[in-house]
Amino acid sequence: MASLAGQESSATSNRDVITADGLGIEFYRSRRRKLSLREMVLRRENTAPTETFWALKDVSFRVGPGEAVGLVGSNGGGKSTLLKMIAGVLLPDEGTVKVNGGVAPLIELTGGFLGELSARDNVMLTAGLHGLDKQAIEERFDEIIDFAGPQVRAGLDMPFRHFSSGMQVRLGFALITTLDEPIVLVDEVLAVGDKDFREKCYERMETLLAQGRTLFLVSHSEPDLRRFCTRGLYLKGGRLEADGSMDDILELYNAKPA
Amino acid sequence: MLERLTRIWAQRAILRTLVQRDLRVRYARSWLGYLWTIIDPLAMALIYFLVFAVIFQRSDAGHKPYFLFLIVGLLPWQWFNASINESARSLISEAKLVRSTNLPRELWVVRVVISKGIEFVLSLPVLFAFVVVYVFTGETKLNWRLVLFPVALVLQFIFQTGIGLLLAPATVLADDTIRVVRIVLRMLFYGTPIIYTLDRAPHWLQTALWFNPLSGILELYRAGFFPQPLKIAPLVVGALMSIGFLVWGAISFARMERAVLKEI
Repeated sequence: MASLAGQESSATSNRDVITADGLGIEFYRSRRRKLSLREMVLRRENTAPTETFWALKDVSFRVGPGEAVGLVGSNGGGKSTLLKMIAGVLLPDEGTVKVNGGVAPLIELTGGFLGELSARDNVMLTAGLHGLDKQAIEERFDEIIDFAGPQVRAGLDMPFRHFSSGMQVRLGFALITTLDEPIVLVDEVLAVGDKDFREKCYERMETLLAQGRTLFLVSHSEPDLRRFCTRGLYLKGGRLEADGSMDDILELYNAKPA
Repeated sequence: MLERLTRIWAQRAILRTLVQRDLRVRYARSWLGYLWTIIDPLAMALIYFLVFAVIFQRSDAGHKPYFLFLIVGLLPWQWFNASINESARSLISEAKLVRSTNLPRELWVVRVVISKGIEFVLSLPVLFAFVVVYVFTGETKLNWRLVLFPVALVLQFIFQTGIGLLLAPATVLADDTIRVVRIVLRMLFYGTPIIYTLDRAPHWLQTALWFNPLSGILELYRAGFFPQPLKIAPLVVGALMSIGFLVWGAISFARMERAVLKEI
């Protein structure tokens, strides 16, 4: 009951929440593309690697409101890249991706937090960065801290860098999932935290789905994918290999030799 | 272009949050906090005063009183220096945030210029304290051209935003940009009429100095405190160049954005 069947809604294109059309992005093969000024000035003749590869190529799909989509594929298949493009933090070199409505990205959970500031200040500021106004933050503050757990509450006025990494991620998750954005992107963050917290995360995700949010989940955990997603996208070598029901996609993915 | 501008404007609440965060980090974490904003330019002014007015006996390098002349120049320079240094690093130092939020990326640059600008404004009471002293002792008189002070501020903001938009992506794409920026800034300090006036320089050099937008901007800052006539040429050149830099910066930023996001 948590997940809605979105198949019908994807037929009416004007209601689509995410529309990807011929999406492609090209990266340099070597991770370090950084040029030194010498190379910039000398027309980058010698050391700059020019070999490129397409992390994504010709990827097109539509996602309707309330759909729960799982992204499947082996490492380097382009899953995270696709998520980042939907989040708007990478720009495509080819094609377009249109996103209708705001995105709550569970990608870099602690990205907005500053070590020197207290957890309280961090929540205020980061929630602001994600578009919540002051009043909304104050209303939700307790909820966020409750969700993050009693240790976080005990250390609210401590500098954030003294938090354990688990606590940092908890706070990040709690914060991002209280945002009102209609689209939620999740990149393998469910694996963090201890067992209790993970269970809490699952519940939170189910609540979000029940509220009719659109979910995009990247995960290597089959139970997670089956639990949350009704539809699957299989990315292989940067191309969209298959698009279908989650069960079919997982079957297809497992059938291929890794 | 226009579309980007409206996007930035739409996010001004977030811009405010960011600036507040900067100021909080700056003033809440060090016990001298606000004092640093003042000590730095005062110490510099003292050094140049000692070297030029006391040792070389050339306080006629600038308007009278020389110490006031130094401060009016050094405070905006401090804004310029800090703003260029930090806006060049603005994308790199906030890489995590740039990677995790879909905000107009120009915001990261503008935010630094504004944060540093607020520090500049907060340092102005020092200037006015000295003005009061010098007016009281009769060494200087204020005049109506004080209204040009905010104009200078706006021009400087435009100029710095333009430079920041040019440098921030370059720093992401080439590591050594920062080093070059540091050296150029050090040279530019002497290439800006801060410790001397424009007409102290030989004629050919004066014309060259017009093409440093800060020359015109400093003329504007100083106009209200000193009776000397305003030089129009560096002003016009400086204003046009500032706007030019902003346009150039905005265009180049938009062009480099794609590559920057991949590298960050």
